[in-house]
Amino acid sequence: MLDAIDKDLLKTVADLEGLPKGAFNIRKNGKLLKREVSANINIESNADGSGIVVTIKPGTINESVHIPVILSQAGLYDVVYNNFIIGEGSDVTIIAGCGIHCGTLEPEGHAGIHEFRVGKGAKVKYVEKHYASGPGRGRRTLNPTTKVFLEAGATAEMELTQIGGVDEANRTNEATLGPDSLLLITERVLTEGNQKAVSANTIILAGAGSRANMISRSVIKGDSEQDFYATMEALAPCFGHIECDAIIMDNGRNDTVPSLKARHPDAALTHEASIGKIASDQLMKLMSLGLTYDEAVNRIIQGFLK
Amino acid sequence: MLELKDLYFSVSGRNIIDGMSYTFEKGKFYSITGPNGSGKTTLAKLIMGINPVSSGSISFQGKEISSLSITERAREGIAYSFQQPARFKGITFRDLLSMAAGTDDEAMLLALLRRVGICSLSFLDNPVDAKLSGGEIKKIELATTIARNPKLAIYDEPDTGIDLWTIQPMVRLLKREQKEHGTTTVVVSHNRAFLEAADIVLMISEGKLVYKGDLKGALPMLNDLSVCNYRKCVGDKDVGCYR
Repeated sequence: MLDAIDKDLLKTVADLEGLPKGAFNIRKNGKLLKREVSANINIESNADGSGIVVTIKPGTINESVHIPVILSQAGLYDVVYNNFIIGEGSDVTIIAGCGIHCGTLEPEGHAGIHEFRVGKGAKVKYVEKHYASGPGRGRRTLNPTTKVFLEAGATAEMELTQIGGVDEANRTNEATLGPDSLLLITERVLTEGNQKAVSANTIILAGAGSRANMISRSVIKGDSEQDFYATMEALAPCFGHIECDAIIMDNGRNDTVPSLKARHPDAALTHEASIGKIASDQLMKLMSLGLTYDEAVNRIIQGFLK
Repeated sequence: MLELKDLYFSVSGRNIIDGMSYTFEKGKFYSITGPNGSGKTTLAKLIMGINPVSSGSISFQGKEISSLSITERAREGIAYSFQQPARFKGITFRDLLSMAAGTDDEAMLLALLRRVGICSLSFLDNPVDAKLSGGEIKKIELATTIARNPKLAIYDEPDTGIDLWTIQPMVRLLKREQKEHGTTTVVVSHNRAFLEAADIVLMISEGKLVYKGDLKGALPMLNDLSVCNYRKCVGDKDVGCYR
């Protein structure tokens, strides 16, 4: 059922050695490959068959659900709409991710549109990795969208990573925060060659006492390009912070545009942004520990994207 | 074990290191002192290969090293503790210590921490980032230098940002490393505690070595205002150059 390429992609995007334990849904080349549900986590196809609905019972603690997507069919652009309903007071981890293996000149792509409704006091950790590989020169596209709605006291921690091989990415993240809710987003994107990635983020702090922290780490190698846009809009007494750092190597190009909008007098919004080469003092320190220049560069980037 | 011969380092026609020659002996503890801007840190950086020599030679254990990279000098056995240590994003003290020691074995890393003594075990998984205090990052810097098991250890102002209560333990640590591991130790410092610990005090002024010997012999020069590079001091109590 899982061939060697599938296994390699699953290992890379979801840290899976074979099939996971607990609830999971593996999608391959636009079709369901295998699904398991658990006592507290239900997965079913949505009405029009364009994706899945994952429903987590209120009070579900320390459970996880894997929903990886693998693609190796030449010419396929797979679009999937997934909904996650996370019950009140639960504490769960969702591991997503998409791996593309391109073996031909034909393009391959995936767009995962994920909507999260996180119930009162619930906590969710969402881990999404995007990766493409293979000897084919077909264009590899990954266009993920996440929409998050946090109810009162809910927490969402999102780790979004694009770790290489993706020629084109249009990444969209949107979130609306209810009272006393907390959103932590860390996005890490590495581009090289002639790859392009755009990340557009809109976070609305709607509820009093809501907090959001968006961290973006970009590494731009070769002739690649990355643009990062982040808007944080405060409608209530709240705290929001955007931190975006980009390391440019070779001829990489980067636009970073953080935007803060205060629509309430008690809103506290901050941002810090930096774009530049690897700092020479970092390189010298690691070289003084015996690493070569190239080893030092790799180690710094590895840490930066960790 | 380290021989500097007719060493020059020039920037825009000005000699920052101005024809320096000196031989450091194996296993000795040296303190380099002198006024601000006299060339102490520049000399230390020339030895590590951080700055390139303009002319002259540096030989380490009989091997000419002035054209070697920082990496090559590190692998020859020279370790360097930066005055203002680098801060990273996503790299922890454990990562740096593992790189320095060449192992990520937990027991060996803990043994290293115990050997250094001044770093708490809880430090190990701290990111080496902008959130660390000046004192904490200097302790980490010191630990990564010792973890190299160097033949020659260079410490540039190791006491910067360190609280008063840690300076003596730090001096004792460097002396112990010298004694137990035979480490040739070079400390760039204005701090009297390091000058007192030294077997030999070297005093630099305007890029030249103006004194080599014990601290007692250096004191008249340290008290002599004429060594002020900036010529700011106008009386005994006026230390405009902060030397």
